[in-house]
Amino acid sequence: MSLLEVRDVHVWFDLPDGSQLHAVQGVSFDIDPGDRMGLVGESGCGKTTTILAVMGLLPANATLAGEVRFNGENILEGGEDTVRPHRWKDISMIFQGAMNALNPVKTVGTQIVEPMELHDVAEGNAAKRAAGELLELVGIPAKATDRYPHEFSGGMRQRAAIAMALACQPKVLLADEPTTALDVMVQAQILELLVGLAQDLGLALILVTHDLPVVAQVCERAAVMYAGEIVEKGPMEELFHAPRHPYTRLLFAATPDLYGDEQVMSIPGAPPRLDREIVGCPFQPRCDSSFDRCKVEAPMLRAVGVSHDAACHLNDRAGVATTAQELS
Amino acid sequence: MRGADYVIKRAAFAIATIFVAVTLNFILFRLLPGTAVTNLSRVPHATPALRHALEVEFGLDKPKWQQYVIYLQNLFRGNWGISFANQQPVWSNLKTDLANTIPMVLLGTVVSIIVGMATGIISAWRRGTKLDQVSTNIAIAFYAFPTQWLALVILILFASYLPSHGMSNDFLINPTPWEHFKDVMSHMILPSLTIALTLYGEYTLIVRSAMLETLGEDYVLTARAKGLPQRTIVRRYALRNAMLPTTTLIALSLGYIVAGAILVEAVFSWPGIGLAVYDAIEARDYPMLQGAFLILTVSVVFFNFVADLLYFRLDPRITE
Amino acid sequence: MSQAIQAVETENLSLPPPKKRGNWFWEIIKGSTQAKIGLGVILFFTILGIFAPWIEPYSVHQQSGAVFCAPSAKHWLGCDDGGIDMVSLLIQGGRISLVVGFCATFVAMVLGGGIGIIAGYFGGGTDITLMRITDYFLVIPDVPLMIVLATLFGARLSIIILVIGILLWTGTARIIRAEVKSLRERVYVKRATSLGSSNRRIIFRHILPQVGPLLIANTVLTVAIAIFDETALSFLGLGDPTAITWGKIIEFGFLRTAVSAGAWWAIVPAGICVALVIMGCYWLGQAIEDALNPRLKVAHLSPRTFRLRPLVGRGSDAI
Repeated sequence: MSLLEVRDVHVWFDLPDGSQLHAVQGVSFDIDPGDRMGLVGESGCGKTTTILAVMGLLPANATLAGEVRFNGENILEGGEDTVRPHRWKDISMIFQGAMNALNPVKTVGTQIVEPMELHDVAEGNAAKRAAGELLELVGIPAKATDRYPHEFSGGMRQRAAIAMALACQPKVLLADEPTTALDVMVQAQILELLVGLAQDLGLALILVTHDLPVVAQVCERAAVMYAGEIVEKGPMEELFHAPRHPYTRLLFAATPDLYGDEQVMSIPGAPPRLDREIVGCPFQPRCDSSFDRCKVEAPMLRAVGVSHDAACHLNDRAGVATTAQELS
Repeated sequence: MRGADYVIKRAAFAIATIFVAVTLNFILFRLLPGTAVTNLSRVPHATPALRHALEVEFGLDKPKWQQYVIYLQNLFRGNWGISFANQQPVWSNLKTDLANTIPMVLLGTVVSIIVGMATGIISAWRRGTKLDQVSTNIAIAFYAFPTQWLALVILILFASYLPSHGMSNDFLINPTPWEHFKDVMSHMILPSLTIALTLYGEYTLIVRSAMLETLGEDYVLTARAKGLPQRTIVRRYALRNAMLPTTTLIALSLGYIVAGAILVEAVFSWPGIGLAVYDAIEARDYPMLQGAFLILTVSVVFFNFVADLLYFRLDPRITE
Repeated sequence: MSQAIQAVETENLSLPPPKKRGNWFWEIIKGSTQAKIGLGVILFFTILGIFAPWIEPYSVHQQSGAVFCAPSAKHWLGCDDGGIDMVSLLIQGGRISLVVGFCATFVAMVLGGGIGIIAGYFGGGTDITLMRITDYFLVIPDVPLMIVLATLFGARLSIIILVIGILLWTGTARIIRAEVKSLRERVYVKRATSLGSSNRRIIFRHILPQVGPLLIANTVLTVAIAIFDETALSFLGLGDPTAITWGKIIEFGFLRTAVSAGAWWAIVPAGICVALVIMGCYWLGQAIEDALNPRLKVAHLSPRTFRLRPLVGRGSDAI
């Protein structure tokens, strides 16, 4: 039994015209303590929605299916009510662009202390001291607890957000594009910090990003998402050098942008619409190696190596696929 | 002290604006050609002696810039001229009028703020539902009704049940303080109700908008991720942060109630500064008009300043 | 590598100013019921006003019924104290009320838009001076100043229009200035400047089209205020005595004891017309503004929570 088991999670969003957008289509993965897993893909592939679903942070127009088991217990069973006790205490999160993730009218210290007192981890002066220590842990002077978020630079704010996320000593940290809004130098520091914390505290980390160099720096394995599904998951080395899905191959081979920001997608075409049923492989229209079977039959996620799965008919042909379910 | 210079800057701006208004007053009423009729000394039915005294007091025979200086001096001394209508000093007239207006407007404003906030919050929380749509459109309707028309409609509807004219019953002889108080209060109901109705729509829309804004902010999602219960998040995050723009917008609007007061007092003959303006317009009582304009302007500037201070107090991001 | 750099350079050079779709206005209308209703109401009254002389059932200068006669089949909304048909009065009144509203708004828009663009575009000293002036005007209360100006300069339609217009430009100026300031920083404007385009050309070709929609949204909302202010001025006796506006109708109703005569029809419908037009403007203006600045934020908190759907044989184990 793993620490966190995500089983066949689906998310639908209600659209204004009455139809539904199938944003996440049966995602599964396992996380053990100390794991550092990346969740990568283009914008709109469902990676953010997936980790939001893990914590039950979906809006009212969302429908959820599947299981999220923490230490064996399905925390999504009763919806919001069964999920809430686990929030922050067992699983916490840092968001894209901490600019607004922190409440501008309250001091940083107050915001770190708040979940501590809520989950009975500490209170009063002890809590305040603990908050100071957390700030030191992420590289900010302890007396910054009395400062307001706007007094921090972007990088420091993200550090403060990390400190806040650690307030109740969670076992899993979900990071959604934690460094996208920061400049390259600061990016590297934050990523280093995250790796260090994972190693020192035995914290499991799921890093969601579209930025491949980031994933490469931090994670030992990754899951690649496309159109709401995981199309390949496995060790970073293998994804880089021996990808078993055309999308992964194209993704990792794309020329990085000269100016160091957004990944320039050199894959022509666009992802499929998720408000209607997709027949066959969702990547087929943009795939450079597709054949007839791809248009009619959707490939299933199959083991293609040790702890390495991929969903592509090409693997069948090569004869390396097995039908045994292997969780990575 | 944090932001002492901010407070000073805003205070300086407020004073500067009053100064501009004062000068504007002077220019409009004394300088422009064709405004000879506004000559302060031409008080109807005044004795030549009085006329002459006024001329001297206001230096009406001296060059313009000297008149300006005298004007400023007189302003400070409380010498604002004599009302054409009742031959009384403008300042003492306005003092009484203002004292009558304030409680009536205050009552209406407080009620409208409370009701407006409640409906705004509920509307935002239940965004998109029928309740929200109905509530918002009702607010828009009341915001759209001309104030004087609303006053008249209320008059028509309630004239037989509640007093609708003046501030007190002239036929009440030697009332006890309590009786007098009850009398005045019963007269205040309709005009205050009108003020409340005319204002509440705007406040509903302001609060609703502010709440919708904060409910969509990332820090609310963070609060939810922390495991905070819904009620706490609404109170501690959404509401608290929505109060920022709300209080300042409300404070700003207070200055503009003056216009509403004019129309409401005219309809209900409430003897306040609004009615004074109304009568002054009719009678072309320029000294009174000048004085009232000044008071109204100062009150708006004052409330703007208060709004600045409030914003500064509530939002730690303002340091400059 | 150099090829890539070249490609990036050429891209920026040939980048045209981003043009909003030509028919953005109709797109917004189509997309919002609120906008449709608002536009509908405004059009209704405008058409009524344009065709007033041909539509009104009776002449507004001749008595056609009894004094304060009640609504009946002959006079749908009764008559006023002079026996003149109310419906005809309302139609005529709408005509002038709307004219005043539109013209005053036009004045305010030209002033406000102009000052906003100049201040935002040229920045520096011009900006500071203009904004100072705007700040003062913003703070000085509209209605009292209008009253003073109207009292001093007399009550003619043109004066009223000017007076209202002069007070309403301030809000617009601020908004437009903010928008222009941010537009100025866009790449294509900097490009055009360095290529030697004159300021005038840049303003008219690049800035104005971008700022246009915002200006229009603001215009619509200002019409509402202008009409509101006109009724206030009329009520205080400062309206043009020869013109019939809805505000005047209400004023007459008040002065000529319609209330004590129980003749609500001499007052109520006029106010409803004003309110309808103002609401229409508000709906339309808000819809345009919302479309331009989509606060498409999902509420992160709401009364209901996400729903759960049990998985029924979706083959979760068949891998």
